[in-house]
Amino acid sequence: MKKLFAILGLALLVLLPFFITSPYYLHLLITIAIFSIVVLGLDIVFGYTGEVSIGHSALFGIGAYTAGTLLFQFGIGFWPSLIAGPLVAAMFGALLALPALQVTGPYLAMVTLAFGTIVQILINEMDWLTNGPLGIKLNTPNFFDWRDYSSFLPFFDMSAKRMKEMQYYYVVAFFLIATIVVINRILASHLGRAFEALRDSPIASDCMGVSVYKHKVIAFVTSAAFAGLAGVLFAYSEQYIAPNNFAFDLSIQFLLAVTMGGRKSRLGPILGAAIVVFLPNLLADINLFRIIAALIAAVAVVAGIFVAIKQPENRRSIIVPVALCLAFFVFSLFLQKITDYKLTVFGLMILFVVYYLPDGIVGFLKQIVTQINPALVKGHAVIDAKGDDAHAWTKVAPATLTADGSLLDGRGILMQFGGLKALDTVDLKIKPGTIHGLIGPNGSGKSTMMNVLTGIYVPTGGEVTFDGRAMAGLKSPEIAARGIARTFQNVQLFDELTLIENVLVGLHHTYHATFFDVAASLPRARREEQAARIRAASILSFVGLDKLANEEARNLPYGKMRLLEIGRALALDPKLLLLDEPAAGLTAPDIKDLVGIIRKIRDHGITVILIEHHMDVVMSICDTVTVLDFGHKIAEGKPAEVQANPRVIEAYLGGSAVAA
Amino acid sequence: MDILAQLVVSGITVGMIYAVIAFGYQLTFATSETLNFGQGEALMVGALVGLTTINFLIGLNLGTLSAYLLMLPVIMAFGLLQGSIVEFLGVRKAIAIKSEAGWIMATIAIGIIIKNLAENIWGRDALKFPSPLAEASLQIGPVRIQPMEIAIVVGALLLMLAVELFNRRSIYGKAVVATANDRDAAGLMGINTKSVITFSYALSSMAAAFAGVLVAPITLTGASMGAVLGLKAFAVAIIGGLSSGIGLIVGGLILGITENLTGYYISSGYKDVPGLVLLLLVLSLKPSGLFGKATIKKV
Repeated sequence: MKKLFAILGLALLVLLPFFITSPYYLHLLITIAIFSIVVLGLDIVFGYTGEVSIGHSALFGIGAYTAGTLLFQFGIGFWPSLIAGPLVAAMFGALLALPALQVTGPYLAMVTLAFGTIVQILINEMDWLTNGPLGIKLNTPNFFDWRDYSSFLPFFDMSAKRMKEMQYYYVVAFFLIATIVVINRILASHLGRAFEALRDSPIASDCMGVSVYKHKVIAFVTSAAFAGLAGVLFAYSEQYIAPNNFAFDLSIQFLLAVTMGGRKSRLGPILGAAIVVFLPNLLADINLFRIIAALIAAVAVVAGIFVAIKQPENRRSIIVPVALCLAFFVFSLFLQKITDYKLTVFGLMILFVVYYLPDGIVGFLKQIVTQINPALVKGHAVIDAKGDDAHAWTKVAPATLTADGSLLDGRGILMQFGGLKALDTVDLKIKPGTIHGLIGPNGSGKSTMMNVLTGIYVPTGGEVTFDGRAMAGLKSPEIAARGIARTFQNVQLFDELTLIENVLVGLHHTYHATFFDVAASLPRARREEQAARIRAASILSFVGLDKLANEEARNLPYGKMRLLEIGRALALDPKLLLLDEPAAGLTAPDIKDLVGIIRKIRDHGITVILIEHHMDVVMSICDTVTVLDFGHKIAEGKPAEVQANPRVIEAYLGGSAVAA
Repeated sequence: MDILAQLVVSGITVGMIYAVIAFGYQLTFATSETLNFGQGEALMVGALVGLTTINFLIGLNLGTLSAYLLMLPVIMAFGLLQGSIVEFLGVRKAIAIKSEAGWIMATIAIGIIIKNLAENIWGRDALKFPSPLAEASLQIGPVRIQPMEIAIVVGALLLMLAVELFNRRSIYGKAVVATANDRDAAGLMGINTKSVITFSYALSSMAAAFAGVLVAPITLTGASMGAVLGLKAFAVAIIGGLSSGIGLIVGGLILGITENLTGYYISSGYKDVPGLVLLLLVLSLKPSGLFGKATIKKV
């Protein structure tokens, strides 16, 4: 089905110019293709990682001005610019993304907005480089000089001439296709999975060694490079660039194009780009505008009546959008001079799309198709790799122990929240190859300990040595890379990924393919993906979830979610596995399976720290148990000793079991 | 040396305006972790409504100063109204569906619409705003300073102080603070957090409108006056920290003075560059801002 669409799209792209006779419309078509490249790139940031960039017009402008200044100052033409433009734009992208993405919140939006405005001012001011407000003139590029060959290949008349508009169209179309192919490959790779995972659960991402920060930066820089590429194509298509080609409005148009067309798809951004390019034409002619407004109103009324009959419970929620569409039509009748109110119409469109078409046109169509026949809309690529027991495990690398033979040695760990000491100078030694229980009443600091050990909290004091190295100052992804994996008390799965994709995110560390390997689909990248899939399938069958491999994680029952979390953590090939209440919410038979799984994990040489409230589980499988109460360690030893310790009994049951 | 002092003094004036706008960002960010990307337009439309009002009052044979003072409550009320509308149309639903892109795009869209309407109502040209105080500069030591510049600094400080006092002392203010600390808990305690957020937007636009009429007499007013001011205030909010009141004032002063110095010693064309450079610098070195507290996310 997808292949059919791709072939149809390709044929359309190739044949379209033959049906267009007017050079004006051919130029519009080229512009649509160029904008599509920007918007497809923007979708990686906006659709997949969920960050908002209001600076893409500036990155686009930087690409265009790289081409312009190379030609204007150094006489370097089109083909070298195609490499320089994306590079320069990517560098500026990194300059913005590296500081702005360190913090969560609307910072990237704020920084890119400021950047967009200031780049425009700078292009204007730096006239020694950019020729300032006068702009730069360019010609369509030369083909390579193939004069010698044209005698027997007259069909390719490419003798050092300037390209005709039609020929340039095919150059742009080629880059559009290349963009789509590269983006498809990236998104289907481990990088694409990382983009989706970090959106579903940033914390789990970090703890699986998939740094949220790093991957957001990769996404933004990639997106900037595409904007730069499009900028070069734009400069040679317009043949004249000036600073106000790249104003703030353009960034908003790109964002509108992604949202309106539909995020997280290839068709959506292209559709959106087409609408945005046609918009000025639409808004130039009052009569055309009125007709379109009337059409929109008619469609809204029909859709409204349809919904009102089919789903009476939603009646109220559709009154507002339908009324707005009607009001919009009435507004169009009263307008005298549309050009004055162009931006108002534009703003209203954004508001409408944001609220009533949040998934864009493509998303809306998908919804309708799903209602008719759910089988037609495929959410995830089905991964049917078969796993086996042999592939589930890799050999655990020998660990470096401390002088007294501990794998992990925490000394005087202090975690203070304001005046509250959640952990008060706790020592914790974990022997390799053991299951170490961590128990204590609610609020005793067990989960805080987990969060300190995995770098989610930075401890106020104390130090931790793991595998022979100090862990001070390490962030969660680095700690994960050193071999500490974890599960979460409040399950943190990548809800919208399938089970096998969840495990594949855990296997992220096994990929060594670079961005370019993936983009070019080199054998190395394919080999790694194949190996990881078999491994993931094997891990799933170990935790008993192989039958559900292609189900979305959010559809799992609670108990199975916990098993999937364990599987995902195992994918990290950890030396130490932290399990935070794995038995919570599990039924008795499930708990039995869980105990078996934990034992097997230990038998494969992985050390386990287990936080658990089910005492029978703790007592039956733990080699050592540490008891925390109000941030203090009150007991430690073999399960039976701890069970008999009066201070432990007091902590759990209260009273004064212990003599003062 | 005299020139330096002069540059610093006028930098302080500009910086205080930035601080008031950034103060508006802070108010809404505290209650809802959202902010109005159309804040610059809120300032602009406040100034233009102020212009129409003051001209009307002067037409009634009032003196410029008394007309100006009478106009202040009008534009503050207008700002409150305008902010509530922005929240109602642009932010409320986006918060409900937890869409960051939603409120960012919606507030930008409203800003675009406001600017476009203002262009159609007041025209595209810059307009002169009558100055309530004498326009002749005073000579204080080595620097010449306009009375209105002093009024800007005093007015800006007074406004921020008044809002802070209101937040700390009154019961309504406590609802705002409670919502800022923990929206869910505040909701469970019976505080209508939705209206608190609306109110914070109203206050935010009120601050912007006030800043608009403060700055208008020494610059010109017009539909395009807001955008750059709004951006500079972004920089100030991030430099000072989105959670710190002192940070805003210090951030505003740093930016205002650096800009003036850059404009004089390098080139007036590059005046807007330090804003971005400082912004990126602070984000790289201390992401929570110079005076901001790093928050600990709980799992």
